Amino acid sequence: MFQYPFMQNAFLAGTIVAVMCGVIAVFVIARGLSFIAHTFSHIGFSGAAFAVFMGWSPLNGLLLFTSASALIIGRMGVKTFRRDVSISIVLSVFLGLGYLFLKLSNTQSTGMMSLLFGSVIGISVSDIWLMTWLSASVLVLLVLGYKMLVFDSFDPVGAEAARLPIRFISIGFLLLISVAIAESVQFVGALLVFTLMTTPAATARYLTQSVFRMMVYSAVIAVIGLWAGLVLGYYTSAPTSFYISAVEGVLYFMALGWHSLRERMAPKLQLPSAE
Amino acid sequence: MSGGIRVHDLNVSLGGQSILHDLSFSMHPGDFLGVIGPNGAGKSTLFKVILGMLKPQSGEVNYIGNAAPEKQSPTIGYVPQSRQIDPEVPLRTWDFVSLGLPHKVRPWLTRRDKKTINEALQMTDCERFAHKAIGKLSGGERQRAFLAQALVRDPDILLLDEPTSNLDPGAQEQMAWLVDHVCRERGIGVLFISHDVNLIAKYADRILYLTRGNFAVGTVNEVMQSDVLTNLYGTAVEVTRVGSKVQVITSLKDAVTPICYHAEVN
Repeated sequence: MFQYPFMQNAFLAGTIVAVMCGVIAVFVIARGLSFIAHTFSHIGFSGAAFAVFMGWSPLNGLLLFTSASALIIGRMGVKTFRRDVSISIVLSVFLGLGYLFLKLSNTQSTGMMSLLFGSVIGISVSDIWLMTWLSASVLVLLVLGYKMLVFDSFDPVGAEAARLPIRFISIGFLLLISVAIAESVQFVGALLVFTLMTTPAATARYLTQSVFRMMVYSAVIAVIGLWAGLVLGYYTSAPTSFYISAVEGVLYFMALGWHSLRERMAPKLQLPSAE
Repeated sequence: MSGGIRVHDLNVSLGGQSILHDLSFSMHPGDFLGVIGPNGAGKSTLFKVILGMLKPQSGEVNYIGNAAPEKQSPTIGYVPQSRQIDPEVPLRTWDFVSLGLPHKVRPWLTRRDKKTINEALQMTDCERFAHKAIGKLSGGERQRAFLAQALVRDPDILLLDEPTSNLDPGAQEQMAWLVDHVCRERGIGVLFISHDVNLIAKYADRILYLTRGNFAVGTVNEVMQSDVLTNLYGTAVEVTRVGSKVQVITSLKDAVTPICYHAEVN
């Protein structure tokens, strides 16, 4: 399968996206932003449709819509948007807008399908360069903000007490997610960005007690799911995105099972010494 | 490097309600100042003003003492009141304490950082559970970890907002002793909010008694007097002493409910 350039590109681009999403996912989960990330991906879909309508590259539309909404949400306060109702409204409005732009631009339904579900084989070499550049920037910013982000994500009251610039951290992180989502939507699609942005970190959380290791595990788990999805998608007729989400889901439930098994075993082992 | 503060004519209103009214007091460098008073009296608000998180309508907070001259302003360690820690947080106590270090960007720890963390853990008696997940600690252990996190900043002043609430009497005693012990050793000025005047009385050099709009400051014996508290609450309050314990009695039960905490007599 590696004799085809499109598969080489798919593996390369997918790995870049998976590593970035896996790392970012740790903080998405810790900050309780998984549904905001989900909403961003739909906003991104709408942005891409808008770009197609305007005759731009979809990525520009994606970046424009997601980063603009990151700034708005950041300024209005994440807490307002964490409420179910506000998220649902934003989500439905942008889904509707996306559909409108697609209709207006007379794109065939395959275009919409690839925006919603991603298109693995449509990745070109220039796309890969752009994705590499964006991912590297996101990762560098994560390294620079690592300490503040860990503090604010896992101990928000403590971070505020230590006088960290929590508002700046919050908006900065939303912008990072928005870029990461804009970048990934092209590849895995609006519906499945959610998978890479949450599931690997949720899985990793059951496997370790350290934030750094959680980031590494999460990135590895994201990459495993993506590679498995690409290979299975290549040899069968089912879509790659389906396999990616299925494999990530299976890994999550395996980790959950292992964790609860270990939790259940632990008190039993301690009983004799406690008496 | 011990720090103190001088608060002068502080006025703070929140949502149109006056919380602190013409509040003036000073905490001498390296002193232990207990802060007590009913809920809603503005104890936490006062802390926020001192930290610069809240701007007062008028008045000022000045730092006194011999903070290192190269520092622009003293370092303040703050242990906030309510702090939810998810039991699943992937942080060991050691990592949790390291978050308190003052550097903001550098993602790794230097040898000196590690030494500072180990010292703080040792001082607060957290070494035993340094490698345990922070979410799995008991209430008392967690409060000590919070204290350690504030101590790694090498503070000149430490603000503790009810560090003993939710702790059993033994753990309360241990926590207050620990704060007193560590801060006297390092010359850190302490403001310690608590509802239990008998706990505070043991360690505090002086106390600041806050009620909504009124305050009294002095030694425990000076403040815990019937006439002083009657003045503060605007209703008849009687203070009696049973052995070394202070007991507060009032005819209006509701008015002083929050300070009934120190009516326990052993």
